[in-house]
Amino acid sequence: MLPKFSHLRPATLREALAALDASDARIHGGGTDLVGCLRDRVFTTERVVSLSAIPELRGIAATGDGGLRIGATATLTEIAGHPAIADRFTAIADAARVVASPQLRNQGTIAGNLCQKPRCWYYRGDFHCLRKGGELCYAYEGENQHHCIFGGDLCYIVHPSDTAPALAALGAVCRVSSASATRSVPVDRLHVPPSVDPRRETVLEPDEVVTELVLPAPPAGLRSSYLKIRSRNAWDFALAGVALALVFDGDIVRSARVFLSGAAPVPWRSTAVEAAITGQALDAATIAAAASAAVAGAEPLSGNAYKLALFEGLVAGQLEAIRG
Amino acid sequence: MTERTDYHIGGTPPETPGNDAAAGPWPATTVVGSRQPRIDAYERVSGTAVYPHDVSLPGMLHGAILRCPHAHARVLAVDTAAAEKMPGVAAVITAATPGADIPWYERDGGFASTLFDPHCRHQGEEVAAVAAETPLQAVDAIRAIRVTYEELPFVVDDTAALAPGAPAIHDGGNLIGEPRVRSRGDIAAGFAEAEVVVEGVYRTSCQIHAPMEPHGSVARWDGNRLTVWDSTQGVYDVQERLAAALELPRSSVRVIGPYMGGGFGSKLETGKYTVIATLLARMTARPVKIFLPREDCFTSTGNRPANTMTIKIGAKADGTLTAIEYASSGSGGAYFGDAGTGALPAYLYQVANLHAIDTTVHTNAGKARPMRAPGVPQAAWALEQAMDELAAKLGLDPLELRLRNIPATLQAGPGLPFTSQHLRECLVKGAEAFGWAEAVARPPDEGHLRRGVGLAAGMWFYSGGPPSTVVVKLHADGSANLNMGASDIGCGTKTWAAMIVAEELGVPLEQIQVEHADTATTQYATSSGGSKTVPSDSPAVLAAARSVKHQLIGFAAEQLGVPADDLVYADLALTSRSDPSKTLKVTEIGMLGRRGVVVGTGYREPNPEGSFTAPTCAQFCEVEVDTRTGGLRILRFLGAHDSGRVLNRLTFDNQVFGGMAMGIGLGVTEERVLDRQTGRMVNANLHDYKIPTMLDVAGDHACLPIDEPDHAFNTTGAKGLGEPATIPTAAAVGNAVARALGVRISDAPLTPRRILDALAAQRKEA
Ligand SMILES: Cc1cc2nc3c(=O)[nH]c(=O)nc-3n(C[C@@H](O)[C@@H](O)[C@H](O)COP(=O)(O)OP(=O)(O)OC[C@H]3O[C@@H](n4cnc5c(N)ncnc54)[C@H](O)[C@@H]3O)c2cc1C
Ligand code: SF4
Repeated sequence: MLPKFSHLRPATLREALAALDASDARIHGGGTDLVGCLRDRVFTTERVVSLSAIPELRGIAATGDGGLRIGATATLTEIAGHPAIADRFTAIADAARVVASPQLRNQGTIAGNLCQKPRCWYYRGDFHCLRKGGELCYAYEGENQHHCIFGGDLCYIVHPSDTAPALAALGAVCRVSSASATRSVPVDRLHVPPSVDPRRETVLEPDEVVTELVLPAPPAGLRSSYLKIRSRNAWDFALAGVALALVFDGDIVRSARVFLSGAAPVPWRSTAVEAAITGQALDAATIAAAASAAVAGAEPLSGNAYKLALFEGLVAGQLEAIRG
Repeated sequence: MTERTDYHIGGTPPETPGNDAAAGPWPATTVVGSRQPRIDAYERVSGTAVYPHDVSLPGMLHGAILRCPHAHARVLAVDTAAAEKMPGVAAVITAATPGADIPWYERDGGFASTLFDPHCRHQGEEVAAVAAETPLQAVDAIRAIRVTYEELPFVVDDTAALAPGAPAIHDGGNLIGEPRVRSRGDIAAGFAEAEVVVEGVYRTSCQIHAPMEPHGSVARWDGNRLTVWDSTQGVYDVQERLAAALELPRSSVRVIGPYMGGGFGSKLETGKYTVIATLLARMTARPVKIFLPREDCFTSTGNRPANTMTIKIGAKADGTLTAIEYASSGSGGAYFGDAGTGALPAYLYQVANLHAIDTTVHTNAGKARPMRAPGVPQAAWALEQAMDELAAKLGLDPLELRLRNIPATLQAGPGLPFTSQHLRECLVKGAEAFGWAEAVARPPDEGHLRRGVGLAAGMWFYSGGPPSTVVVKLHADGSANLNMGASDIGCGTKTWAAMIVAEELGVPLEQIQVEHADTATTQYATSSGGSKTVPSDSPAVLAAARSVKHQLIGFAAEQLGVPADDLVYADLALTSRSDPSKTLKVTEIGMLGRRGVVVGTGYREPNPEGSFTAPTCAQFCEVEVDTRTGGLRILRFLGAHDSGRVLNRLTFDNQVFGGMAMGIGLGVTEERVLDRQTGRMVNANLHDYKIPTMLDVAGDHACLPIDEPDHAFNTTGAKGLGEPATIPTAAAVGNAVARALGVRISDAPLTPRRILDALAAQRKEA
């Protein structure tokens, strides 16, 4: 059951920003994550500010320099079906398409997807764990088959967003506004690792709204993709996922950005995979090396060592697929 | 020990009186056996059907139940002062409320607990409840109740539950009853005779029923008369339990539940929530509705227990089985659930020497309840995979091995004959339709995508039988009402019942209305469980229709002045055989017009003595495993089912597809996860607990009925199907995965994790 809160649905961004200065106001994009958190008592709020009536936050359009602007409240369905995204920013369409279920994609927004709360079952359940202000991470010695193999520190979640690794790989930048200022935050610096603060997911302040995402023009030779593996073929988060954004020069990978989902508390940049493939043709040996690089240094927990083989297999498969 | 075709537990066999009109088999059918959409499909799909969850009465209050969050605790104090003062709160009930000390959970003829037992033996036990004006106020109020718990040591692992020093969940230790033994022949001699022996340990995980409609009831008092709308599989069972709990005559308790959103066994037992709603309604003199939140359905309304099964099979070189030794253990939960699985290994195949033992233990977790073929899909997971291992060792096709061991008679006691049993046809015709021979001849895949096929067989042991009473009313305009007590738990009960009346009397389906599942207005039936609704109630429906027909023939004979046995009844008309000019439409029968209706009553006659009825089946599937990611795709499934006569081919197919989907859940995706540190369930929601979606079941599925009426069993010749449909599914997937990978994964569900771990172990060994 939901707590009692007031619900505001302003028609302009300015009004929304003004309404957010109340200390525990929460932003509502599509609400698919927010409402679940409120119902499960992950946190509470007295004021919900909906972005759904604000025209300036919507839409997907090309920018003058060949890039793309995605409004914060563009839905995952819109993104998955957008021809320019599928064509030039493939990883993002791939990612949007595999989120949750059709209903949730119709309702869920891209900004909400980036800012969603963790899916750790202790965090969502009736456990006062460290991230919720308690003392203890229950996952560490508990049921951690879905938890992280990289970057765990006091808290061992995996970041749940499918679009974040794809956006990060393609160099997307969030435009962020508050009542007093506007700033840019690259998606690959949006999320906060637990080593910095285990109780915070993004660098955004509570009164800051993501207004849009800006993608740079794709360089010549760019190919990108995203794939996730899940234990159920729909309506399920990633056990493991990989976003690739590789710039090819003929057969040779000139530059690479590789981000993993299901691996770490934040979208996990795998510089090891990038190093293993940059300057190389994607032959069998390079792919094998990249696959092992993907899990080099991983620190599996008691119940998730299977993710090592999974990431190796996934990365190898996706490199083969993108090589064509 | 001997087993019989059971439709009751303990006591003298139930019965209903004999029928006045003889009911021989149908010579041929036109409606029965065809594909008919459900007669209430429009209501269900359009949302006009009123499920108990939809019931809203004037002045109705909403109840909520406070549950123990701990796996094992003792309630020391309950402070409801704050809750009672909350806005909208009309009543609060706890163990201390007069009249709330109702005994609960039967054991040895007595009771082991109470409605609000201060000794909370699992997460989700009922501690207090509230009735308030709105559902939100009720939830706010239960949160305002302050409970002081003494947390107790807990055990959620069934092996640990029997270890010395394990916390005792009930006085007398954690073993539930005595282990059940099924035994015949000489097991040592059987293995001595064997030329090949296989052994293995197989495990399944705990599965939750998770019906679409949550559990719940609405209760209303009218003086001393109680009416309850309940999402239940059996209104008469709930009536009986409520009458006992509230010390009322049964006639004062009316239970209504014609639409209900699924149960799979979890709604066979009367819920504490139902009794709590009646108590709150009495305290407030207003109707009270309690529907459980989904989390509570996961922790507190039953489950299919996890099982560990050890099996050893011996066979001669030609594949003839010589011995089976089987031991199964599982948890009945904190109360007296049954985790036994030994029936299938005891009966599926012809084997003279058998020893099967079932051990059921208490753990601090929700009580097990029957779930779609209780124990049998788990046993199939073990037995049918072990049979494949045996086939491999013998160098036999798994199909051939099974065909060599079809039981000639019931493999227990005096070896009763089956009323009918077509396991061989299921296997042979199923294999043919599936293309088994070609599929097994295909060379193994080389790359990382590996396809494999698998099959498994199954048998079910409850047949249905008396009592059942059904009334058919034929109106003067030739339309009919059908009145029966059975619940339609989603299987299409109303539709096949109407089809039988249409077949027998010629009334068009659209002109038949079915009243059912209401203890005040419909006739006695047992609960819809055990796949016994069709075999128990369809003969009674037929008998009721025959009784109407019998009376009509009598009236028409008098009116036409011909002997009754000269009349032929067809298409709602009666015609003389000797003088076809003498004919009468049913609507022209004077007596019918004068009486307004003709009422026919039909009873379920007893099952035949000295025989045993067992539906059988075989399912076949093809899977593709990605060895890189552990991903498993079910490419196709075929179920060949001997359930006697097919009444409605459309819902027959649907039962089979639904059973397969549920079996894929058991085999591939579903698993209750209890936190080892606290004993609490971490995936008590529909997202983390993974019921298969349309993308997880077979893209291509087929149903092949072995449509042989079992006339030795009952007059319609129909046997049960709902449970057989899910028995071999998980095992067939297990066998297909083993064939695809060349490694057998003995623990279900086959998640990417288990597949990858098994492949890693395989690489290590190589
Ligand atoms: C059953 C289920 C399955 C799911 N499966 C997946 C999955 O497979 N993959 C996946 O990636 N996601 C999944 N999700 C998460 C799903 O909620 C997101 O995918 C969705 O995109 C969130 O968008 P929303 O607009 O509904 O977010 P909301 O619920 O509105 O917001 C989510 C969070 O972001 C904040 N927020 C929203 N908009 C902004 C903004 N403009 N600026 C700043 N903060 C903002 C909110 O305050 C809130 O904390 C699933 C969710 C459910 C319920
Ligand atoms: S992983 Fe993080 S969110 Fe989960 S229990 Fe541990 S601290 Fe809490």
